Amino acid sequence: MAVIDRMPMLITTSSSDKTQTATGVLLASLVLPGLAALAGMAPVAAAAESAPDKTTVSVKYGRYTDSQPGWDRVTVASPQVYVQAPIAGDWSLEATGVLDTVSGATPRWHTQHTPISGASQMNDQRRAGDVKVTRYFARAAVSVSVANSNENDYASHAAGLEARWSSEDNNRTWTVGLGLSNDSIDASKTGGSGPGGQKSTRDYQAGLTQVLTTHDIVQFNLTRSVGSGYFSDPYKTFDQRPDQRDAWIALARWNHYLEPFDAALRSSYRYYSDTFGVVSHTLGVDWVQSAGPWTITPGLRYYSQSAADFYVDPILNAQGQYDQIAVITRAVKRAGNNQSTDKRLAAFGAVTLTIKLAYAWSPDTDVDFKVETYRQTADWHLGGQGSPGLDPFRANFVQVGLTHRF
Amino acid sequence: MKNKAMGLLMLALLPWLGACSSPGQVHAWEKGKLAKPGMAFDGDPLDLRFVQHIYTSKENSSGGQGVGGGGCGCN
Repeated sequence: MAVIDRMPMLITTSSSDKTQTATGVLLASLVLPGLAALAGMAPVAAAAESAPDKTTVSVKYGRYTDSQPGWDRVTVASPQVYVQAPIAGDWSLEATGVLDTVSGATPRWHTQHTPISGASQMNDQRRAGDVKVTRYFARAAVSVSVANSNENDYASHAAGLEARWSSEDNNRTWTVGLGLSNDSIDASKTGGSGPGGQKSTRDYQAGLTQVLTTHDIVQFNLTRSVGSGYFSDPYKTFDQRPDQRDAWIALARWNHYLEPFDAALRSSYRYYSDTFGVVSHTLGVDWVQSAGPWTITPGLRYYSQSAADFYVDPILNAQGQYDQIAVITRAVKRAGNNQSTDKRLAAFGAVTLTIKLAYAWSPDTDVDFKVETYRQTADWHLGGQGSPGLDPFRANFVQVGLTHRF
Repeated sequence: MKNKAMGLLMLALLPWLGACSSPGQVHAWEKGKLAKPGMAFDGDPLDLRFVQHIYTSKENSSGGQGVGGGGCGCN
């Protein structure tokens, strides 16, 4: 469970409660950059940004499985750890580590799973970690972060710089950020159809968080992503994608507190558009219900994307069956041009249902459990039928976690 | 072209939002409900990473919440 989820949060102007008030507010500001706006709750002339006053350690175990009709595909076991610690008053350090153990297989063509089409087998470990250092000022904070991820065939190195500052009344927070990443994939020894390559991406982000009323807070982020290099998937046969992918991403979020239920309604919408030709819409709604030491959070997410310009549909024979020979023949004819049969570039819709249960063992110790079920199908594409000839896809993910502060 | 136009539209939106003069004159002592844990935008850092990682590997779109994260070769 998150630090923020059980932090001491007494909002009062009483001087005797100053410490507790500030603790809650400042932790909120740290964990949630956008919530720096709330720091105005502190009854003293407090900084809108401040380092946490406690160290937080979280451990979590995640498990992921996916399938399509007649085929259990991939399983991932994922232990994770998170640490956040104050340093020398005005600084904080955050770090995470994760070890993913992946096994299973994915299709080389659309959603095909036949002896003739074959499948990309995988049995891999991914080690990933990131470190973020934040320096706090009177009404501002600056963070620098680095991230690394390594697999047998894939390495990713990333860095980020983020600055945020609040208005004098702490009702508004601006954020700007820059992210850089360099990824390389080498599939020459792991069964790829091609050797792989490198790509680099720059992300520019600007955001605004605004307190609207005593019960409403909104946030808007705009991101420009510029990427160049190798975007193809060497484990898909005849997969060739453009060597440039630029995207615009707009994220709007609105959190509303419902007084009669002592609950929060969190809603979000993300618009995404890139030069592959994909446009997507993501809607999310969570209901956060408190009940004594328990917090129950049911959630719903809907996602829909259009197909990439170079995605090619399956070819079906007269019986409506997948015609592998015709697909291969077409791919050979188009060789040298951009083309992909990766279903992740097709037009489809997806729904996730979520339930999260958290229990505060003590003021400083929480446990949480979360179950999610995800279904992706062309039938749920926004505004009508998505890409034809694809099997639906299901995934289930489960997390169990423990958080302690000291 | 369509992509570029959408980008420009979004860029135009941002200062407009910023220019909203005092949409909420909420005082410090009125922010108790806003500070409830459930009202946080990003609560659980490990939960967020885990779930976003899954969506990044199963859908074309990603990003929008923050910067500086690394990628993966997930299939």
